[in-house]
Amino acid sequence: MKPNISREDFEALVRRAGLTLSPAQIDGLHPAWAHVEQMLARIRTHGRDRAAEPAHTFNPAEFFAGEI
Amino acid sequence: MNAETHSSLGYLTIAEAAELIQSRKLSPVDLATHAFSRIKTLDSKLNSHLLVLEEQGMQAARAAESEIAGGHYRGKLHGIPIGLKDIYNTAGIRTTAHSAVLADHVPMADATTVVKLREAGAIFTGKLATWEFAIGGTSFDLPWPSARNPWNTDHDPAGSSSGSGAAVAAGLVLGAMGSDTGGSIRGPAAWCGIAGLKPTYGLVSKAGVLPLSYALDHAGPMCWTAEDCAIMMTALAGPDASDPCSAMVEAPDFSDMSSPITGLRVGVVRHFFEKDLPCEPDVAASFEAALDVLRGLGCVVSDVTIAPFSAYGAAAGQISRAEGFSIHEHWLQTVPEKYGAIGRQRLSAGAFVRGVDYVNAQRERARLIAELAVTMQSVDVLVFPGARSVAPKIASDRSLGGAFYNRAFNLTGSPALSVCSGFSPAGLPYALQIVGRPFEDPLVLRVGSLYETATPWRGRRPIL
Repeated sequence: MKPNISREDFEALVRRAGLTLSPAQIDGLHPAWAHVEQMLARIRTHGRDRAAEPAHTFNPAEFFAGEI
Repeated sequence: MNAETHSSLGYLTIAEAAELIQSRKLSPVDLATHAFSRIKTLDSKLNSHLLVLEEQGMQAARAAESEIAGGHYRGKLHGIPIGLKDIYNTAGIRTTAHSAVLADHVPMADATTVVKLREAGAIFTGKLATWEFAIGGTSFDLPWPSARNPWNTDHDPAGSSSGSGAAVAAGLVLGAMGSDTGGSIRGPAAWCGIAGLKPTYGLVSKAGVLPLSYALDHAGPMCWTAEDCAIMMTALAGPDASDPCSAMVEAPDFSDMSSPITGLRVGVVRHFFEKDLPCEPDVAASFEAALDVLRGLGCVVSDVTIAPFSAYGAAAGQISRAEGFSIHEHWLQTVPEKYGAIGRQRLSAGAFVRGVDYVNAQRERARLIAELAVTMQSVDVLVFPGARSVAPKIASDRSLGGAFYNRAFNLTGSPALSVCSGFSPAGLPYALQIVGRPFEDPLVLRVGSLYETATPWRGRRPIL
């Protein structure tokens, strides 16, 4: 499977992330990104209600047990 | 002690050994001596232990023997040899995550679970092999060799709790701790033919366990039987103020593993293994036979439809990648050469997950949890094959990412158990996975235990 992002653009992402990868290491990572792109497409296209909260909402009772 | 006795000692379950120890028919010192002897004799074939703690283990066994002789029996883990995946912090003892990055890492304090097991009287045999940082895969460029499958050492034990699966199946330990972010307890349990429980999220403390993904990590037991997992859960479960993810609920009662399950509503997630990620035909046949066993136990079996496996995988993939990179960013930037190739590649991918994708994955997670909760009103447990195939041969260039149906229930936090459900013609284990509602871990284990009792699979051990 070939990723949508070009090798050159992917290298830019690697630099932005502060990673120093050899050409061989990028050779391994760039094609693997195609699998992530598939997952991202699914996450980005799903119609969610604007009010739908993430799964890790803050519960003050667990952080301040007995103090509130 | 003759060789036959030695051999039978290695294959005791925790429940059997506990009964013998409590009745003073088995000495914890003899049991520990036997465990360390097996490790010395057999582990060169399996590579399950990165570090053997014989001196400390024998000291603890002698203390256990003395306590029990003095009338202070702590419970069913007293004097039982247990292994710890090498991501569980052990005070003063090297904890490496099977990585050169942490080759010299010696924690100051024990993980909460290690404290609980020690207080229950467990004897620690050592630190067990794992995929690098619980994500890397079966690798050949790490400071220590990767674990191998006891049923055929040319085959993959799965991971990431690879050493835990191998050591339990081979009878080197009677139980082990694993961790499960995307199936790392249930995968090796399936391919090594043992029982492994990913508990309800937050039921077992993660404090002191090296993290991979805060939202998806679960700590849990791996044993020969579901009943033994229940014994370990009795010691492990419960609130922990030092773990921000602790559910802060009292531990449920794990003592009943034998009450009938007549009328239990079993939902078969058939689309997982027929459509979403089709399994091998022999796996499907084994699974249908397992359903017949459940029907024979009085269960009402019907198909159910939940979200496609890829929906869970997409959300879990973004969450775990982003969180994993947040943990490893500094090391990946400063000492990338210390990682194995597979670990570095899998962890580096998290660098490119956008913040908005992470948030949306968490929102998707909430939606999928709510959707599953509705389905679980009409059934009591879900079942499906524990793996798409039996364990393949070890290969350094293969990802095992699509080999299992595990990741869905890391996302939902549901309790999920893998038990052995037979053997292929080549002698490699099949597995059945059982998933329950949150905090119904005892029911999941009881279903697994009754299934095991109704089948002959627990009578077979690997020949080493």
